[in-house]
Amino acid sequence: MQAMIWEEVKALVDDRIDDGWFSVHKRAFTAQEVFDLEMRHVFEGGWVFLGMASQLPNPHDYLTTTVGRVPVVVMRDGEGALGAYINACTHKGALICHKRTGSGRLHVCRYHSWSFDSAGKNVAVKAMKDGAYSDAFKAFDRNLVRLAAFADYRGFLFGSLVETCSIEEHLGEARHMLDLAADQGEDGLELVPGEVIFTYDGNWKLQLENCADAYHFTSAHPSYLQLVEKRRREEKANSVKSVWGENSAWSEMTEGVTGGTYAFEEGHVVNWQIIPLSDTVPLADRAEILAARHGEKRRDWMVNMRNVTIFPNMQIAENASSQLRIIRPIAPGLTEMRTFCIAPKGESSEARRKRIRNYEDFFNPTGMATPDDTVSYADCQDGHANPSQPWLLGYSRGMTSVQQGADEFADVLNMTPDRSQPCGSQLCDETLFHSYYRAWLARLQTGMERDA
Amino acid sequence: MITRAEAEDMIARESLALDRCDWDAWLTLFTEDCCYWMPAWRDEETPTQDPQSELSLIWYQGRHNLEDRVWRVKSGLSVASVPLMRTSHHVSNVLVEGEDRVAASFAVHVHNTKRRGDHVFFGRYEYRLVREGDGLKIAEKKILLMNDYIPAVADFYML
Repeated sequence: MQAMIWEEVKALVDDRIDDGWFSVHKRAFTAQEVFDLEMRHVFEGGWVFLGMASQLPNPHDYLTTTVGRVPVVVMRDGEGALGAYINACTHKGALICHKRTGSGRLHVCRYHSWSFDSAGKNVAVKAMKDGAYSDAFKAFDRNLVRLAAFADYRGFLFGSLVETCSIEEHLGEARHMLDLAADQGEDGLELVPGEVIFTYDGNWKLQLENCADAYHFTSAHPSYLQLVEKRRREEKANSVKSVWGENSAWSEMTEGVTGGTYAFEEGHVVNWQIIPLSDTVPLADRAEILAARHGEKRRDWMVNMRNVTIFPNMQIAENASSQLRIIRPIAPGLTEMRTFCIAPKGESSEARRKRIRNYEDFFNPTGMATPDDTVSYADCQDGHANPSQPWLLGYSRGMTSVQQGADEFADVLNMTPDRSQPCGSQLCDETLFHSYYRAWLARLQTGMERDA
Repeated sequence: MITRAEAEDMIARESLALDRCDWDAWLTLFTEDCCYWMPAWRDEETPTQDPQSELSLIWYQGRHNLEDRVWRVKSGLSVASVPLMRTSHHVSNVLVEGEDRVAASFAVHVHNTKRRGDHVFFGRYEYRLVREGDGLKIAEKKILLMNDYIPAVADFYML
């Protein structure tokens, strides 16, 4: 397999926006050589999401994850300071921390007993004195390798294997969307116990797109939507009541602006809808408190549906419930999803119960909506094998109505996205995806130039 | 007191109803206010314990929720359910524990015709069975799924 040159990579995105044209080549989803470049330059060549600070609340706690193909551990040292390291013993490369989350003052490698403290420092080499080591070895830095960049933005942890811009620059104006999530709890956010992991037979970018794709909702989820409506009519005890039953923002009967999209330069996007405050919303019982603290308009934004993607691997979907997703590409046609129910700390048990019930029904691979998405991704992946129509046509809705900069809804948040698309329920903007592919190309270009 | 033969009979009936896609028969095995629960895993070794404050893979109180799941799969409106997977439930180690509790080990072989692949879900069932009329009904079913690394879809009929 011959490595691709930059001109070939660049040619996978046909970005001629001034001609009203944007398309992505199917090979971007299927080719192993593209995938290898993505791993090296998109995931291992810039900021990626690692996890939540709340997953390691105490000194010496840790969480493990991957950055591209690289095992990573985030640890809190004895003073409580966070650090991110390659999760591999500097001796022979064996993994040092073995659980998804855990705790330990001292991590003794299980293979040859080299020891590291919770600040990544190599505190002992077994039988050092008798090892007849050279001065060159003794002088060598044996500590766990620190990630080139690490940041805690309001409890959201990010890392990069290469030196890169500041996290503020990376998040850009999309940070307002993380703020809206973080501000829901006085003490921030937490993950509800219970991690759910699943895979699908498709490229990771299909998940990236689906989260921001309003167009699929009524096509892929009629079974869920009909059940929501049935439950609303029947009002049986112990039926899950969903925000989708309380509003018709997605319905073709609705008039006027019902939501829209924002796209950000750094590759982050948001697809949102107006959700009226009702009893089905988990924030309902704290609506007054949130309004007092943040103002009514900002509180209403917290209640709105927001499907947020922070490029390239993090999504927070706040709609029927609230889900944090970490996207982990495994192969061109195989992706792993780590998913969590994310919630404000300290909410009432009734609010938490509502959030959990809606989460299970909508988001779980054992639920009634997500499987209808992921099976469709596999269908796309199969369809992408078709070389006779290599250019995809899913990037054109909203092309003539998208506006530069903020709209009046973004102004409420003092947020200035690159582009805004306030719209009715049936427009279903696809231009927000352009930002994914521009950021994707930018990382690939930077990385390929670095390697050249 | 429930006998082992009665418990095995009930579980075989349930397994075969699921494998035959006779879900109406499957629903009749449950009490109206039954609890159907598949916990998620809190970490590598601990399943979640409290469905009201922790996440489950599935948690329902009331047979009408199972009826909804059956409706969805039959509706033809669910991408993930057309075509249906083929299943074969294998249940062993059936043991009556206490008055009304029954534990068993399960392996469900699932064949995905579309993706031309097989998968096995395995774990333990824990039931609470009650006498209703002439026969037994399932008042509680807990499914402890050991391999919770799920290939896209795991619906009630595969578990």
